[in-house]
Amino acid sequence: MELDLIQDAFDRVSKKQKLSSSKTQQLVRQIEHEIEQAIMKMQSTENATSCPELKQILADLKNKLNEFSPMNQLETLQKDLNITLGKYVKVTEKSFNPDISKAYRNVDFDPHIVNQIIASHFYRQGLFDLGDCFISEANEPEAAALKTPFLEMYGILESMRRRNLELALNWASSHSEWLAQNGSNLELKLHQLQFVEILQNDSVQNALSYVRKHLAPNASAHKVEIPKLMGCLVWSGKLHKSPYADLLSPNHWEKLADEFMQQFCSCLGQSYQSPLSIAIAAGIHGLPTLLKLESVMAVKKQEWQAMKQLPVPIDLSKDFQFHSIFVCPVLREQGSDENPPMLMPCGHVLSKQSIVKLSKSSTRPFKCPYCPLEASVAQCRQLHF
Amino acid sequence: MDKRTAKSFFFSADRRTHLPRDEIQDERLGKTEQGRGRSGGVLGSEKWRGRWIERWFRSPNGSNSVFPHQWQWRIPVSAAIEPSPPPSPSLSSVSTANSLPDFLSSPAMDMAIDSAPNGDASPAAAPAAQAAPTSTARLAQLAESLKLEHQLVRVPLEHLKKTIRFDYRLAEREFTAVLSSVAEAADSLDSSSVDETLKQLSSLVTRLQGLKRKLEEGGKLENLQVQRCRARLEHLRSVADADKLDDWKDARLNRILVDYLLRMSYYDSAQKLAETGNIQELVDLDVFIEAKRVIESLRNKDVVPALIWCAENKARLKKSKSKLEFQLRLQEFIELVRANEHMKAIFYARRYLAPWAATNMKEMQRVVTTLAFRHNTECSVYKVLFEPTQWDYLVEQFKQEFCRLFGMTNEPLLNIYLQAGLTALKTPLCYKEACSKEDPLSQEGFRKLAEPLPFSKFHHSKLVCYISKKLMDHENPPLVLPNGHVYSTKALEEMAQQNDGKITCPRTGEVCNFNELVKAFIS
Repeated sequence: MELDLIQDAFDRVSKKQKLSSSKTQQLVRQIEHEIEQAIMKMQSTENATSCPELKQILADLKNKLNEFSPMNQLETLQKDLNITLGKYVKVTEKSFNPDISKAYRNVDFDPHIVNQIIASHFYRQGLFDLGDCFISEANEPEAAALKTPFLEMYGILESMRRRNLELALNWASSHSEWLAQNGSNLELKLHQLQFVEILQNDSVQNALSYVRKHLAPNASAHKVEIPKLMGCLVWSGKLHKSPYADLLSPNHWEKLADEFMQQFCSCLGQSYQSPLSIAIAAGIHGLPTLLKLESVMAVKKQEWQAMKQLPVPIDLSKDFQFHSIFVCPVLREQGSDENPPMLMPCGHVLSKQSIVKLSKSSTRPFKCPYCPLEASVAQCRQLHF
Repeated sequence: MDKRTAKSFFFSADRRTHLPRDEIQDERLGKTEQGRGRSGGVLGSEKWRGRWIERWFRSPNGSNSVFPHQWQWRIPVSAAIEPSPPPSPSLSSVSTANSLPDFLSSPAMDMAIDSAPNGDASPAAAPAAQAAPTSTARLAQLAESLKLEHQLVRVPLEHLKKTIRFDYRLAEREFTAVLSSVAEAADSLDSSSVDETLKQLSSLVTRLQGLKRKLEEGGKLENLQVQRCRARLEHLRSVADADKLDDWKDARLNRILVDYLLRMSYYDSAQKLAETGNIQELVDLDVFIEAKRVIESLRNKDVVPALIWCAENKARLKKSKSKLEFQLRLQEFIELVRANEHMKAIFYARRYLAPWAATNMKEMQRVVTTLAFRHNTECSVYKVLFEPTQWDYLVEQFKQEFCRLFGMTNEPLLNIYLQAGLTALKTPLCYKEACSKEDPLSQEGFRKLAEPLPFSKFHHSKLVCYISKKLMDHENPPLVLPNGHVYSTKALEEMAQQNDGKITCPRTGEVCNFNELVKAFIS
């Protein structure tokens, strides 16, 4: 990316623009000066009516103005500036892709759906005013319903930021079943943090009663953590010198806030990151590939619009990998329900169809394409990713 | 290169796999060969398999600087495409010739660039050969994404050009007027008195002073716009700053959203978002303000501001052969007919539509015929011309011309990126119930949008562990339970540690021992 080249070209443009601007103003001043001089001369002459001197003055003025011809100078300045601008435009067109909408397929995105997606994105980011403004401008009143769960979430996050865990604890206890199902120990972590808070700011007695109230019922599940908390009681007031000093660190709060957000969104059936930002990030990754592909297929515009599957892979980073995709190395096709992956005794995996083909309708044993071990169809197991 | 030489070239670097590559194809086609007596499998180790080379296009000037490794990308280009552009016309794998999509051309040999020794040596070469996101790859990715930012840089430039042009024309007009006035005064000194001449000359001075003021203002505006161009270039450079990369990416998302909001005429939201995201220098709010005026007037069925805009940009509209002015005039004509002012309409046509007649005869004929009908006619061909939707069409036309003039893409950036993203993410698994909630395509809205788009394609397996949601690759290979379910090594090891070596399958609940697990080799 030759940003330096572009920068240089632009610096030239900026210089020329300043030069042109200042020169133009200078020209204006010059003309003004000449005319004023002529006026002064005319006023200073004694005679009233037309006299050869006056005529001479005006003729002089006219000639002088023609001599340093402001029009031509202006034109030259403008031409120079235009040339520099043109060069800069060329540089930008070379360095950047001038038309990224070439790969756009003519499918209409329903504006209502897009507006709803944008509105929910704003609410998810916590920009409630912006979301409301957007909804009113875009005339999508039903999208206002998307606001409520996120309002709740941000309310809880706000209170957590102020080191008040009450709302979070309420939420966690009301969703404890769900959390347990998903293998999350958010509630425990919240209690831990609250315990440390109480220990710091309050008395040992309160901290103990807190543990008795909240953690004792589930003591069997928290075999590792409760002894630690009990140990903290011994160092009350000097916790930062104890072996448990790391419980005091502030990034526990941040991590817990993140985990809370994750669990909350998961409970709603939504993703942790805004889906719009994931989709757009994937688009930015994939668009160069699509543009290249489109330029190759430029001859067959029809096929570009109507294709069911891309002919080339788009290389997204592993952040965008949400599904297990099995691609049979022999057939280069994706696995599906009709063509599942099968594990051979040697440990290699092929799709069912390729195994069937290799073994010629499941009669004799066949050789694995990777290693020389033989296997028969019956020995192959279906895999579930 | 014919098959024989290609084969020998291919296998010279690879001692163990000296088998002909098309053995698999032969088998599939039903041909067998006796007495091969080979020691290795056809496809060799999975490391070798993992090195399918994918050939990127070489750009015409030969620079391949974006990709430092020799990553090359297989392009399925049919024979019909002219050979001039990408210099590697048809590459495909011999072994999969039968099953590739239709437009792949005849099989050819793969070029094995990476001729590192295979075999048990160099287990480190395998991860390197895989698409591991190293920092060089990430930088290359960022560089590629910067190339998409043409609009960011072009729009303020066009705005600057416009201001420069405007100031130039102003100065040109005033200069010509002043010079001709002086010449006139010089010539007509006899007929007019001295006082008059003096008055004329002083009026010229005032005029020049006015010009000076205007040029100063214009100069200030130009400077602001130059500053804006510069700020944007700075912003593009700042992507190299690894700490602020997340902020940069958020700013990018906000930019895309502001562009969409402006194009849909949601100006207040755009303003708010620009302020919240602190990206005022990076978005084109001011450019769209002048569009706002015209669009609002068109919505109020008033073509005058639009016509003014056309007059201001006459030269450039003509260069792009735009018919906007013609269509605006047609609409005015129709409005006159609607108001039953036929004589006025005819005069209007004579004056304004006639110049366009040569190039747009059919269109004009169609519209002028409305004179013969009333505005509530039932005749379908002419009824549609009286519909209020004609005004919406005009608004769309104006928006398109406007965007084109300023170097913007004709579709909102949001749509472009969203389409590309949905295509890249779309797999048949996304439409099933079991789709992970982290996938955007699990949401109803995204699914609907993605329906008409093509599926993405994969050449290599990419497996995600059900338990840990991490990628199962060479560092974290998949393990198979006796019931056929597959999970990653790391997740299963952890589970075994916490449960005395016992593994419980999360999906079926079956229990087994850690040592009953079998390794699976997936390329």
